[in-house]
Amino acid sequence: MASKAASKRALTPKEASLFKELLTLYETKQLKKGVKTADQILKKFPDHGETLCMKGLILAHMGQRDEGKELVKKGMRLDLTSHIVWHVFGLIQKGEKNYEEALKSYTQALRFDKDNMNILRDAAHLQTQLRLYDGLVETRHTLLKLRPTLRQHWTGLAVAHYLNGNLEQAKNVLEKYESILKNVPDYDVEHSETLLYHVRILEELGEYSEALNLLDTNAKERAIVDKTAIMEFRARLLSKLELSEAEHAWRVLIDHNSENHEYYKGYLSCKGLSLDEKSLEALKDLSSQLPKASVPRRLALTLASEDDFKNLARPYITSGLTKGIPSLFVDIKSLYSDQSKLQAIQDIVEDIRKEAETQSQTSDKSADPSMYVWTLYFLAQHYSFLSQHSHALEIIELAISHTPTLPELYMFKARILKRAGDLLGASRSMEDARLLDGQDRFLNTKSAKYRLRAGLVDEASTLLGMFTKKDAPSPGADLEDMQSLLYLLEEADAHRRNGKPNLALKKYLAVQKIFNEIEDDQYDFHGYCLRKFNINIYLNLLSWEDNLRSQPAYIKTAIRASEIFVAVHDDPKIATAASSGSQLTDAEKKAKKKAKKAAQKVQEEVKKPTATSSNEDKGLEPPTPKDDDPDGFKVLACSDPLEQAAKLLQPLTKLAKNNIEAWIAVYDVAIRRKKLLQAIQALNHARALDAENPELHLRIIHARKTASSIQPPSSVGSVFTEQLNEILTSEVSLDTYNSQFLQKHSTSPGAILACAKASQELGATREEVENTVFGILGEEVKLDVETAIASLSFLDSLKSPRKDELRASLDKKFELSTLFKPATELAALKESVLAPPASRETDGQVDTVI
Amino acid sequence: MHIRVARVDDLQGMQACNLQNLPENYTMKYYLYHLMTWPSLSYVAQDDDGKIVGYILAKMEEETEEGEDTHGHVTSISVLRSHRRLGLAKKLMIQSQEAMASIYRAAYVSLHVRKSNRAALGLYKDTLGFTVKEIEKKYYADGEDAYSCVLSLKDK
Repeated sequence: MASKAASKRALTPKEASLFKELLTLYETKQLKKGVKTADQILKKFPDHGETLCMKGLILAHMGQRDEGKELVKKGMRLDLTSHIVWHVFGLIQKGEKNYEEALKSYTQALRFDKDNMNILRDAAHLQTQLRLYDGLVETRHTLLKLRPTLRQHWTGLAVAHYLNGNLEQAKNVLEKYESILKNVPDYDVEHSETLLYHVRILEELGEYSEALNLLDTNAKERAIVDKTAIMEFRARLLSKLELSEAEHAWRVLIDHNSENHEYYKGYLSCKGLSLDEKSLEALKDLSSQLPKASVPRRLALTLASEDDFKNLARPYITSGLTKGIPSLFVDIKSLYSDQSKLQAIQDIVEDIRKEAETQSQTSDKSADPSMYVWTLYFLAQHYSFLSQHSHALEIIELAISHTPTLPELYMFKARILKRAGDLLGASRSMEDARLLDGQDRFLNTKSAKYRLRAGLVDEASTLLGMFTKKDAPSPGADLEDMQSLLYLLEEADAHRRNGKPNLALKKYLAVQKIFNEIEDDQYDFHGYCLRKFNINIYLNLLSWEDNLRSQPAYIKTAIRASEIFVAVHDDPKIATAASSGSQLTDAEKKAKKKAKKAAQKVQEEVKKPTATSSNEDKGLEPPTPKDDDPDGFKVLACSDPLEQAAKLLQPLTKLAKNNIEAWIAVYDVAIRRKKLLQAIQALNHARALDAENPELHLRIIHARKTASSIQPPSSVGSVFTEQLNEILTSEVSLDTYNSQFLQKHSTSPGAILACAKASQELGATREEVENTVFGILGEEVKLDVETAIASLSFLDSLKSPRKDELRASLDKKFELSTLFKPATELAALKESVLAPPASRETDGQVDTVI
Repeated sequence: MHIRVARVDDLQGMQACNLQNLPENYTMKYYLYHLMTWPSLSYVAQDDDGKIVGYILAKMEEETEEGEDTHGHVTSISVLRSHRRLGLAKKLMIQSQEAMASIYRAAYVSLHVRKSNRAALGLYKDTLGFTVKEIEKKYYADGEDAYSCVLSLKDK
């Protein structure tokens, strides 16, 4: 068999040399010539597998993917023992990001050519991407043995050991490497980075003296050139060794960068001072030595108390107000956890305000009108923080009438209104801020965000379009391309609240896609960073990628998307309703048309170069296919919503262990997929986090109801029932359990709503359920806006005749809010929000009036 | 406020900050490319809550012409409007410049600014000491011209 294959592979000398040429042409990316050369060989040997594969590979690079892949497959079948065909196949799979399969092909290729460096190197990258570190060590070992003169083969092996958790081995490899290394030029950044990696390993091994030694020797010889890194390593190592030089080392760092918090912490702890009042003297010294540094002054405020605090706070605040620093309040609000500091700050700022007002009455020349405005701005934030919305609003209005040209004031007014539930008013005010400085993208983004919060999706898009690329299909498309999580999250939520689950799902999934992209991004750096010897930062990249999906944006979108998938599984009508009931607004129609046009254009451009005319290398990554589901109808109506949801949630079970919402989402999906073990585990995790969570309460009841319908009692089923019994014994009836929960949490609006929902599940009459819901209006209940909205939409789902009654009560309760206005009133409000700004009364009389 | 060299886990915060402030935006891969190639040149400013409120994304110019000095380049620098007037841009710039000079022995640093962006040009010229070297026609994708600015790092 093997000899048969080998004979099939044999070429006449002329073709053999053509084949060599073909390989070179591919390496040098002379694609057109490559195809010609391949065709020359194939004329005489039409069944030459390796040539067919090479031709297919080149065609794929030229954008003729399908044809190319066909050729590759054909070529493979003709010569299954050639390392070239397997290598080519692996390259194609890698291009499609199918890393597991690609590695299998590379492994095959290595069976037939075990010392092929190219293949070994690619295999190492795949093993890293897949985190198969045992295999990686082996591959790196082979590479080093094959060519020990290549420097990166040494560091590559050291990195492999390190990733595999074997720091001792990593250290040995580096020591050996450094001992045989010759002729390192001065100021060699690559060698410098290698040495810093060595120092890091020693530090992580706890060998601090050795680390310090290596660092100092090489810093002196200028073999390590990164000054900041040297100083930081040095200070940290000296501290760990508790050497007296440590204090000086940190002090030098403070001089080098006086705004680095960590440096001060290190310095103070060397002086035997923890971060408490004892450090104050040292900080005062530092403050006078470094007049421009803000960190020691700010840190002193955290540590001081009583009179000390007051004496330090007054100049700090006064200076901030004089300079008009917008972030002053945000900067010091963390001090508010101490009630006496809160009071002291309030007294100081109110004092400053009074002074300014007296000065202006006596028309004192020294009065600073700008400082007065910033004082009011601060106070508005202060009272808003204390939930005194009306008071805060009064002050900010005063500030606005004093200086109507300062965007910050309108921004904060918007914030107050938003907190009070007046989303439309907030949007109006934020737009007022934006209109004062149309060139500022920050204001633009904020105003768009506030419009999204108020449900004004199209109107937000119009604003965003002022700064996005003009040739993008839509502002949203550009922001999605640029990976704007903020935009995608806000718009997705807006769609969700507006009752458009298809569009919401689309955006949530877009966020998920970005995380996939970022995960793929690391691939190229497996080779790149080793070539550059930037190892420390590369290792940080890998561990960051490992935890990528623990980020709030990932977790949130996974949960929300999963909720939509579950809802549509429970009620497929949601999908049909979304696609049939979608009456597009004019703006939506327009946007759609534009998007379609742009997509067509892209499509045409993709088609164009099918003729083998261009030498251009399009790479092996398939082009992004045209989005044939821009409105998300198809994905919403997909045949396997639960499988989709399970896939999204999978990373959360490892990376979001402390998120109760995540476990509840996992339960919802698992129980519907009949994965009982997973479901009960999710409940147990959730219970460990917060046994009294209202959403969990609903799930426990749901689980009990499900348990009674499990039959026949499989072994998994019995584990499920047993564990559920531990949570809620079957002796208690669910009705009793539910009413006990309500009694226990009679002031929690979330619990009240959950109990209402549960009682409905348990067969209570609609009147009973409604009565329970109305409990949220009780005087003792601390009702929040979110639960109020959820309650209203629950009554809506029941088709309750009392829905409007609840809405009216909520409207009264949330005085400033526009969320509970009747539909007619709301329409008028919206119009007023979007109307062009009323001409301000400000013309002419700016700034100077106090 | 906390100013320090940028870490990998800052990049998304930098990207968000950039998207909020500036019309020139980049995908994560480009941020990664900067950090993986010049890990000591980019800096961030972080507030108490850990949010990135300002950043400088910097690199060394790789394609220097014959006889041209090695130099650094600021790809992007910005500070959130909510955190202006603290001098953050200058502090970020100084840290990055020192690293360019000491690690890569950069002779000067360059950057581009949109011709229409007067506020930024003011910052670069008046606060940071840059001078306009030339105008690069149609530097930006939308056809706008750029000022090419430079600042010498010698005698630092």
